[in-house]
Amino acid sequence: MSSHSEAIDEHDVVNLRSVRDLFAHADPVPSDLTERMKFAISVQALHAEVAELIDSALLVTRGRDAADAAVEPTPTDSVTFTAASVSVMVSWGVSDTSDASGTGGPSGTDERVRVDGWVTTPGAQVEAVTADGSRSATSDANGRFVLDDLPHGPIHFLVTDPANQGDRPVITPTIQI
Amino acid sequence: MTPTPTASDGLGTLAGQAFAAYVRGDRQRLSELVDIVTPVLWNAARSQGASPATCEDAMQTAFLQLVARADSINEPAAVLGWLVVVVKRETWRLARGSRREIGVEDVPEAPTQQLDPEAQTILTERQRVLWQHISSLSPRCQELIRVIAFADRPDYAALATSLGMPVGSIGPTRGRCLQKLRLTLGSDTGWAV
Repeated sequence: MSSHSEAIDEHDVVNLRSVRDLFAHADPVPSDLTERMKFAISVQALHAEVAELIDSALLVTRGRDAADAAVEPTPTDSVTFTAASVSVMVSWGVSDTSDASGTGGPSGTDERVRVDGWVTTPGAQVEAVTADGSRSATSDANGRFVLDDLPHGPIHFLVTDPANQGDRPVITPTIQI
Repeated sequence: MTPTPTASDGLGTLAGQAFAAYVRGDRQRLSELVDIVTPVLWNAARSQGASPATCEDAMQTAFLQLVARADSINEPAAVLGWLVVVVKRETWRLARGSRREIGVEDVPEAPTQQLDPEAQTILTERQRVLWQHISSLSPRCQELIRVIAFADRPDYAALATSLGMPVGSIGPTRGRCLQKLRLTLGSDTGWAV
C-alpha cells in the first residue's frame, strides 16, 4: 500500500504525464499564443508605436496544387506596414543560403528566408524578431535593407531611428514568413 | 518545450534564471520566459473555468504587470509562482467583470474541471478513462493535478502554494491529491497496463 506521506515516485510521474497528455490534447495552448504574449510585452516594454498592416500582396502566384507547387519558382510575398512616423515594406523569399546546403529534397525545416525591405527613414535600424532570436540591419541612403538567413515562421520588425533618439520605436504586428 | 520530469532543475528554476537575466538587461531572455511558463499558466487559467479569450487576456495582463514591475520583484527565482497567482486572480477578475483588482483572499476555489463536448470526442479510449478518474477527485485536487502536470517535480510545492493550497500539500511527498489519483487509477483494472 502506498501512502500520501511517501515521496513522489515514478508511478506518480507517469500518472501526471498521462494527465498532461490529456489536457494538452483536449485543451491545447493556442498555437500562436506565445507570439501574441511576446508582442504585447515588446510594445509595452519599448513604449512602441504599433504599425498597421496595410496590404499583403502575393507577388508571384503559387502553384494550384501540391504537384505544381514543387516546381513553381520561389513564392514571394510582400507586406506593407505604416505608422505615423514611418512606413515599412518587406518582401521575402527563400534565401540563397538554403540552396548551398540543400540536397534537392522538398523544402524542409532547414530552409532559410531572405527579407528585402524598404523603410521611409534612411539610416533606420530594423530589427527582425523571430523564433531564433533577433537580427538587425541598417537601412541605406535609399531606405533599403536586407535581412538574410531567417527561419520560417512568425516574425515582427522593430524600427528605430538612431538619428532621432527621442522618437518612439515602431513595432509591426507579427506575420508569418 | 515539454517538461522533463527527470530534470534536476524545474521549470521554476529555468523561468527564474531567464527572468533574472532579463532584469539585468538581457532583453531576449523574456521571450524564453514566456515559452517556459505558458503551458503552466494556460492550464492554471483554464482550470478556473473561464473562456479561452478571458484566459488569454489574463495571461497578457500578468506578463505586462511582470514587465512593468520587473525591478520591484524581489525574488526573480519565484517568478513562476508569482505569475500563477496573478493569472488566477486576473482570470477571476475578468470573468466576473470586476474593474477593481481583487485580492488573493477573494479568489474563489476552482470549479470542477470541464472539457468542451468537442474536446471529449477527440479523446482516446484511455484518455476517456483517465478523464473519468480525474473527474472523481475534489475540485481542488483536479486543479492542482492539472497545473502541476505541466511542470516538473521540483515545482510542485511552490505551484500548490500559488494556487492557494496549504504548504506541504504536495512535494516532496505525494500528498493527498496525487495519492487519490493513484488509488483511483490503481483500482481500475482497465487502466493497469
